[in-house]
Amino acid sequence: MIHWFWAGLTGAALLWYSTVTVYVAVKGAINIRDMLARLSKENEEG
Amino acid sequence: MGHFSWIDGSIVGVYLLLTMAAGIAVRKYVGKVEHFLIAGHQMDLYLGIASLAATEFGIVTCMYAAQNGYDKGFAGATPGILYAAAMLFVGLTGFCVKPLRDAGVMTIPELFDKRFGSRVRWLSGVVIVLGGLLNMGVFLRTGGEFLVTVCGLHVGYLEITMTLLLVMVAVYTILGGLLSVLVTDFLQFIVMSVGLIAVTVLLLVNVGWGAMVKAVEMNYGAGGFNPFVNETMGWPYVVFNLMLNLAAVMTWQTTIQRLLAAKDTKTGQQVYTRTSFFFICRFLIPGIWGVAALATIPAAALNGNTLQAMPMLLATVVPVGLMGLVVAAMLAADMSTDSAYMLTWSSVIYNDILGPFRKSKWSEKRGLLWNRCIVACIGVFLLIYGLWYPLKGDLWTYLGVTGTIYLSSMSTLLIACCYWKRANNWGATAAIIFGAAIPVGFLVIEQVPATAHIAKVIGPYYSGIATYLIAGAAMVVGSLLKPCPRAQ
Repeated sequence: MIHWFWAGLTGAALLWYSTVTVYVAVKGAINIRDMLARLSKENEEG
Repeated sequence: MGHFSWIDGSIVGVYLLLTMAAGIAVRKYVGKVEHFLIAGHQMDLYLGIASLAATEFGIVTCMYAAQNGYDKGFAGATPGILYAAAMLFVGLTGFCVKPLRDAGVMTIPELFDKRFGSRVRWLSGVVIVLGGLLNMGVFLRTGGEFLVTVCGLHVGYLEITMTLLLVMVAVYTILGGLLSVLVTDFLQFIVMSVGLIAVTVLLLVNVGWGAMVKAVEMNYGAGGFNPFVNETMGWPYVVFNLMLNLAAVMTWQTTIQRLLAAKDTKTGQQVYTRTSFFFICRFLIPGIWGVAALATIPAAALNGNTLQAMPMLLATVVPVGLMGLVVAAMLAADMSTDSAYMLTWSSVIYNDILGPFRKSKWSEKRGLLWNRCIVACIGVFLLIYGLWYPLKGDLWTYLGVTGTIYLSSMSTLLIACCYWKRANNWGATAAIIFGAAIPVGFLVIEQVPATAHIAKVIGPYYSGIATYLIAGAAMVVGSLLKPCPRAQ
């Protein structure tokens, strides 16, 4: 039973990590663009 | 030994150039100290997740997590499960972190100033920086040893290689602060993740899950799967790691800095909850590499140094081409950790240790210059301490002790600050003193021949548990001892 716990957790970890990497890569790039735009505006106003 | 070729070297070179270019390019957005230290509170959710994950996964983590896998089997991933549980709990409930973020401070000691006064803030800053820099002091050498083994570098090139790497990291950290760190963390997260997944799949295919399970069964029996029955773990190990990880989630400066940099409290908490499962991966994935090493590397080949098991495995199993990606991934992991850690300790030095000595408000230009100089000085310290001074003793014990020096008292102060009105500076000072003295005292008696047997009987886990409990008790007793202020 406990072996299945570790097998399941390992599988879940690999699946989650693979999915999140792609998702965060796309969304994170958008975040960077928006963050830099806000900072640029703040510096111009400041 | 090793499959590192010119193809791999080219992959690594391209990655390093891209990282440097990205890190330096964002410096033009740094207009204030607030931008330098906490990205002007403009960090959004997914960038926060990538940055937190990249920062908290370095070569050192990979090395000791893999060593845990080699020495304890699958049960060695228990700290990662506990960390994930703690982070999920704190993220969902906002325990301590909500009041902290709502306060709008840049560091934890800044919050303590409002409640306990400037002396406690200063003392907190000193303890945090002391524990943090000593903790970080081992990163360079451990990373260097990994690269030497995996790439087959001549050991004579270790110091110069790590020096060049640190200089590259220092350049973009000094110029762009947390903005550069966030952007490079993002790139490093992608490279690191791809490398980790690729190697894990390769090992599962080449070594085989069945062989790994069999190796753990043969070497550790049920203890290789259940931490409570493992001879070297047991409930004290689990309880100590639960306390340690809960304290780290709430007060480890690099982690909390992501929360403080978030654009609002809700985003900060979401970064925690959505990153929490990563901490299982952080221990389990390199742990799998360690278990794979257990199944393939004979113990005699290690000369008792199980920390080298995983690098030796990678050097022999990973093919040309993928080796370049693995090395780039590990460099990514290391650089993101080094840059974030340099910046975070610098922010505490600037904000909390030097803050009381600033009589008037400094201009942004002056503040930025000081921050950059502090980061540079930290870099010099790391070179001297980490590379040129030979460290003795067990790596995990060293990290545990140096971390507990500050985690025990800072978590106690944070909980009391947020939820106990009677807490005051007497209790805070007592908690800081006891929280530092006990782990340092344990380390000392462990090293002194006349008292080493006492340390062995007590063990690091009971000592660690006692530190957290006594720091808490000191806060309570100290606070209650102080006379209540007379009503007006």
